[in-house]
Amino acid sequence: MVSQLSPAWQRRPASSGRPARAHGQIPDGTPENTRDQAPCRAIPFLLDNAGQNRIVRQLAEVLNQRGHSASLYPPEQHPHACSAEELAAQAGLEHGKTEFCLLPFLSPHALQRWPLDHVVLLVPAELDAVLLAYRRIKLLSCTRPPDIGIVMIGPRDQHAAWRYFRKLAVGTLRYLDVPLLNLGFLPQQADSDHSTDDSYRHNFMTRISERLVGSEFCTPLQAGEEDREKP
Amino acid sequence: MTLHIENTQLRDPERLRSLLLDAAENLGGKGSVVLEPRLPWEAQAMLLADADQQPVVVSFDAEQARMALLNGLQLLEQLSAALPWINQVHDALQQKQRPPRLVVVSEDFPPGAREVLASCPSLKLFRYRALQVNGETGLWLERMNPGREQITDTSLPTAVDEAPPAAELAPEESGESALPPLSAEETAYFQQL
Repeated sequence: MVSQLSPAWQRRPASSGRPARAHGQIPDGTPENTRDQAPCRAIPFLLDNAGQNRIVRQLAEVLNQRGHSASLYPPEQHPHACSAEELAAQAGLEHGKTEFCLLPFLSPHALQRWPLDHVVLLVPAELDAVLLAYRRIKLLSCTRPPDIGIVMIGPRDQHAAWRYFRKLAVGTLRYLDVPLLNLGFLPQQADSDHSTDDSYRHNFMTRISERLVGSEFCTPLQAGEEDREKP
Repeated sequence: MTLHIENTQLRDPERLRSLLLDAAENLGGKGSVVLEPRLPWEAQAMLLADADQQPVVVSFDAEQARMALLNGLQLLEQLSAALPWINQVHDALQQKQRPPRLVVVSEDFPPGAREVLASCPSLKLFRYRALQVNGETGLWLERMNPGREQITDTSLPTAVDEAPPAAELAPEESGESALPPLSAEETAYFQQL
């Protein structure tokens, strides 16, 4: 059901006001073949609360297990980096070549300072959280809206995840003209440190990471800088 | 000791109620005591008695400042009618039969707050920020002062053992209240799933 998203709600093509993406520079081979040529790619996350850092960290672990080189870089811990490219350079210095740089943000205002084309919102499956996500998207859409992907956190099941996502997606499309990309969900039973079945949680994390990579929902950092607009 | 301060959100009204109960003296004044942590009406509110034995209705709403104000006004009316009974039940009021006064707490000030405040000097309006200081959640309360251009009078945080200075507590991005407001249509749309 989740994958049957109306085309109207899928990612829109890059608008003229948005930085050009270096799609041509992203190789489509296996991770092993591409790591040497591919630029480091940033996947920014806008978290609902600090506890969700755990989810981003586990996503980085899953990406690493699947042959991608991914590092977690909370921008707050790198205050001297004033651009995603500088952060990627630091990542390279500390960890060697990094394919994915996961950037968790807690504030949409902080996110606005970074010229990123995409952002993934982790949204708890509650009406209040959906409303907060909407307000944050409204703020982001005031300036240069990035492509926005949604991961629902803690719904009871797939049906509940879809209902919350649909509420948000219809709202943003209707009132803000912002389409959303559904990147999956992490169900209630798996969204716990005390989850009895680690493989159950791992399966959902894997699906989310595959959608992130498969949909190229990331911003190349080293390529196309001359085309990138500064905020 | 290093202070780690960050914004957090309070979605659970009961959690907010609990923090406000801890901040009773900030809201009602020094010497205030809690009479009723919740009132038998739907609105989110509590009843305090201040040091002068005057009942204080604290109306709060994490979502809509307007509702906190309107509910508070309605409660004021209801409690005024029930004043003899309240005085009989609560010894802290010492049967003084003083009319209740209203304190409104919300994440942001309600619309038209300055005008309402100018007409009702006994009304107190607070807005709050929920902060995590070294893992402990606390409230940072700001009171709107009548007759001033800027909103000032920062009160100390509550439910945080070691209160850092206000300047340190002020988050750079001022939390979710800095998010754009919602239209009536948007608000109605997100009322239910």
